[in-house]
Amino acid sequence: MKQLKLAYTSLLAKHGMGAALFVAISVTLWVVVFITLPQLSMLDYSFRFNLPADQIGTEADHYTLEQYHSFFFNSDGSFNALDITILIRTLIAALIVTMIDVLICYPIAYILAHGAKGVAARLMVIGLIIPYWINEILRAFAFRVLFGSTGVVNTWGMQMGLWDAPVDFIRADVALYCGLAYAYILLMVFPMYNAIEALDHTQVEAARDMGAPLWRVHWRVVLPMAKPGIVSGATMVFMLTAGALAAPQILGGPSSLWFTQLIYQWFNESSNWPRGSAYAVVLLVTCISFVLLMMRVFKVSVGEIGK
Amino acid sequence: MNRHTLFGGAYALAFFAFLFGPLVIMATTAFNSSRFPRVAPWECFTTGWFGELFGNARLMEGLMNSVIIGVGVVALAVPIGLAGALALSELPAKLRSMLYTVLILPILIPGVVLGISTIVLWGQITRGTGAGFLYNGYFLTIVGQITFVSAYAMLVFIARLQRFDATQTEAALDLGATPGQAFRKILLPFMAPAIGSAAFITLLASFENYNTTVFTVLSESTFTTALASKVRHGTDPSLSALAVIIITLTLVGALTNEAYQRRKEAEAGGRASRSPLYANPVTRALTHPGIVFAILVTVIGGITYAGSQYDSSVCEAAVLQEKLDRQEELRAEQRERIEAQEAEQGVTVPKPDSAFGGAFGGVGTPAAPAAPKPESPSAFGGAFGGITAPEVDE
Amino acid sequence: MPDQTPDRSVLLDHVSIRFGNFTAVDNANLKINSGEFFSFLGPSGCGKTTMLRCISGFSEPTEGKVLIGGKDMAGVGPNKRPTALIFQHLALFPLMTVAENIAFPLEVRGVSKKERRKKADELLEMIALPGIGDKKPGELSGGQKQRVAIARALAVEPDILLLDEPLSALDLKLRQHMRTELRAIQKQVGVTFIYITHDQGEALTMSDRVAVMSRGVIEQVGEPDRIYNRPRSAFVASFVGENNALQGVIKGQSGDLAALETPMGTFEARVGGGRKYKAGDAALLFVRPEQLIPGATENAFHATLTRQEFEGAANHVFAKAGDSELRISMVNAGLAGSLPGQGESLSLGFAPMNGTILPVGHMASDS
Repeated sequence: MKQLKLAYTSLLAKHGMGAALFVAISVTLWVVVFITLPQLSMLDYSFRFNLPADQIGTEADHYTLEQYHSFFFNSDGSFNALDITILIRTLIAALIVTMIDVLICYPIAYILAHGAKGVAARLMVIGLIIPYWINEILRAFAFRVLFGSTGVVNTWGMQMGLWDAPVDFIRADVALYCGLAYAYILLMVFPMYNAIEALDHTQVEAARDMGAPLWRVHWRVVLPMAKPGIVSGATMVFMLTAGALAAPQILGGPSSLWFTQLIYQWFNESSNWPRGSAYAVVLLVTCISFVLLMMRVFKVSVGEIGK
Repeated sequence: MNRHTLFGGAYALAFFAFLFGPLVIMATTAFNSSRFPRVAPWECFTTGWFGELFGNARLMEGLMNSVIIGVGVVALAVPIGLAGALALSELPAKLRSMLYTVLILPILIPGVVLGISTIVLWGQITRGTGAGFLYNGYFLTIVGQITFVSAYAMLVFIARLQRFDATQTEAALDLGATPGQAFRKILLPFMAPAIGSAAFITLLASFENYNTTVFTVLSESTFTTALASKVRHGTDPSLSALAVIIITLTLVGALTNEAYQRRKEAEAGGRASRSPLYANPVTRALTHPGIVFAILVTVIGGITYAGSQYDSSVCEAAVLQEKLDRQEELRAEQRERIEAQEAEQGVTVPKPDSAFGGAFGGVGTPAAPAAPKPESPSAFGGAFGGITAPEVDE
Repeated sequence: MPDQTPDRSVLLDHVSIRFGNFTAVDNANLKINSGEFFSFLGPSGCGKTTMLRCISGFSEPTEGKVLIGGKDMAGVGPNKRPTALIFQHLALFPLMTVAENIAFPLEVRGVSKKERRKKADELLEMIALPGIGDKKPGELSGGQKQRVAIARALAVEPDILLLDEPLSALDLKLRQHMRTELRAIQKQVGVTFIYITHDQGEALTMSDRVAVMSRGVIEQVGEPDRIYNRPRSAFVASFVGENNALQGVIKGQSGDLAALETPMGTFEARVGGGRKYKAGDAALLFVRPEQLIPGATENAFHATLTRQEFEGAANHVFAKAGDSELRISMVNAGLAGSLPGQGESLSLGFAPMNGTILPVGHMASDS
């Protein structure tokens, strides 16, 4: 509190009353009204019964663990393997997508930071950003066009004789994985690029000069430098993939459901808000714990994210 | 080193092929008259899907809503993001990283969670205060989006602030400016380009957002949610046409911005006179961002006009006739087969091969409806009262 | 400007500035006279910049008072003080033109646009850069920026101009040229200049008086030649110019002179700072390289030449005596002169008045 006051005084001295008040009010509003209160409210809701409007506030309206209980157990007391499997599968899928992105983005980030020069580098940056400007829905749609049974991949594959009948890439989740990996490439490349760019290129040359093979140069010199960027990018990609809704809705096979789709159904189709809130809390807590665990493992702080 | 350069180049090419390939193919399908978006088989070149797109009332209404919401979000998220960046710049290290974590969190929190928490909170507030006017799709969407969009704006401002020389403010104070004057005359003008890009990014983020908006928008729809529901419930190439428009706008924007950036860089570096491109009056004029923009707009306008005059009906009619013939043929074949099967087992199994599914692709004749996918054996399907698994192309 | 010259003095009245446990400035107590060119000289981290920020009003002293023109400045913000600061990196506003930069102080005071431009042109005239008013600072050379920064600072008609190592970013030739120019501008406008630098060449050539600082303490205040010839502490002796230091024990003192016993013999030298020593006190003897005379017999010792460096006007010769390496400067006598060869032994001596005995203390090389 004292430090906050000090910071405010410093703002006041530097930028004046108007600016200081503007900053204080805006940030408070953001942190309290936009970030904290909604989460608390959702948490509160997840501990309540799904009551009709006229019963809210009556005696029936008290706290309960029912919503969470029903995530773990079916009404007959057996494990709710279905929902739990969906959660775990969502997390694993997000992890796979994240790893795909790390693998395909690392070389590009390195080339961008240390290989490409001048016009080529600028073109690459523009090339990376442009697809990101296209609407998320349309990007997913592009993959549906690509992987549909009469899509380009199937047409070419059959023309080249790789397979005879159209392969259902959508049912096999290939389209979904590709679409998700595609969607968040930019969020992986730029943190990596920022981290690798800070590396003095002469270090790479020095290592090469001392006779290290290329893979070793990357393993010992470039990767340690890129680590914070990789973790930052991986965190964002993982969280966004696990929390994705549009791509699974558009590209997901009929038999595979994303956890966010479950939440969506509780809210929009079953109108059971408390249950939906509980599921949202489950998703949030699981994802954040997972990310924090990974950060602990890789020894990186949250402050690195978004850099 | 040469071998590595070659490998790097090849990798970069493959990478960008992955980035742009899907977009190019999608864009191409916008000009194929086939009712299902695809490149092959190519039927007729057409520009009709653009007309279809603009005729989609739901999308156009969503567009209007998106603009309203976007303006609201930009107007609030940009100042909030700026405030966040300024606050971070003044805090001591430990508190700064704490606040940073809190403010950046909304980017990482799944959008659905943000959407849900927003409607839950404001629903409760509405019930508590009776202020029903707050509980509408526009307001909730703006509020929900601000939560994370402000963080995007903040990141832009943080990057710009890092390059701000704090002695500039001190110099202004020392020269007699009040802190307020220093803020308005020194810091804000310095931040102006960042305010521009933050406004752009927040507008884009607001426009594009689906995960949060789909909850907060309630019964209204934005451009993106309308788009999503259209994609989920069957597709046609008018979406590709939309992609063509967006890609074109993006390219025009990117090229104009590039021309602007280069010119500014050349002028700031004092290289303007040295670069041959800027020395020659003709090329100098040609590379002016305004001129670049005008040229691009003219070219696109020309193409659009030419496209709107193009008539593909003759070709389409021919293709349609061909298809109808083939369909008739197939149907006859099928009938024979079914009759043969019925004769054998007495059971009907109407399961067209999916290879033909595309060919049927709802040519618009009632005779060829989209073949229903056999219900997938999803155990939870029943439990949740019919989860609509996203429909597959056919 | 008023007819009567205003009081442009600065008085630091027992000023201490602390940040937590760290003392940046320790009990500074001095008066800078009206119209003086005054320098704070010291290595980086000695507290000179903190001092400057305290005078300009960006920080307040923890103890003591700052008086400008006789008025206590406590609680007066930087924008209300009659001071103007030239920042190390000048802090010209890159988005404004040169004229707008110079006229900024007038702009914030609500002076009309026409008048502002007139004043800016006048000041540009003064710094001999007429006609560049419409350029952006980015288009100027280093020296031009320097002068624009001075013009901008003078636009507020300050009583005190504070300069924070403004020449450090320039190359050698330009730096030397700007020294002359700064001095000339100061004479022309008659404003008190307070100059912060770690470059003794700048401090000694431009200033009327210099304060040498180390570790937050003002070690000595005086005219440049006094600082150089009459150092009062081991730090000043070792920081300003080259110096040879010998450690020893006082044998006795008579008036200004004392005898110091060192491993290389006993020498007579002047006592720095008018101090009194007892026999047996530890002390340091400083003799400048140019004061060591080869071939002297009085107050002398034997040394072996180890190496020499040629530097145009002078030759630097290094000799070893006991455990110490000594530095001797010899004027280049042209072809007529000859230098002793390496490994040769020679006798080196100095006049007692040219040696300085100072109490043991930290030296420039310690920090």
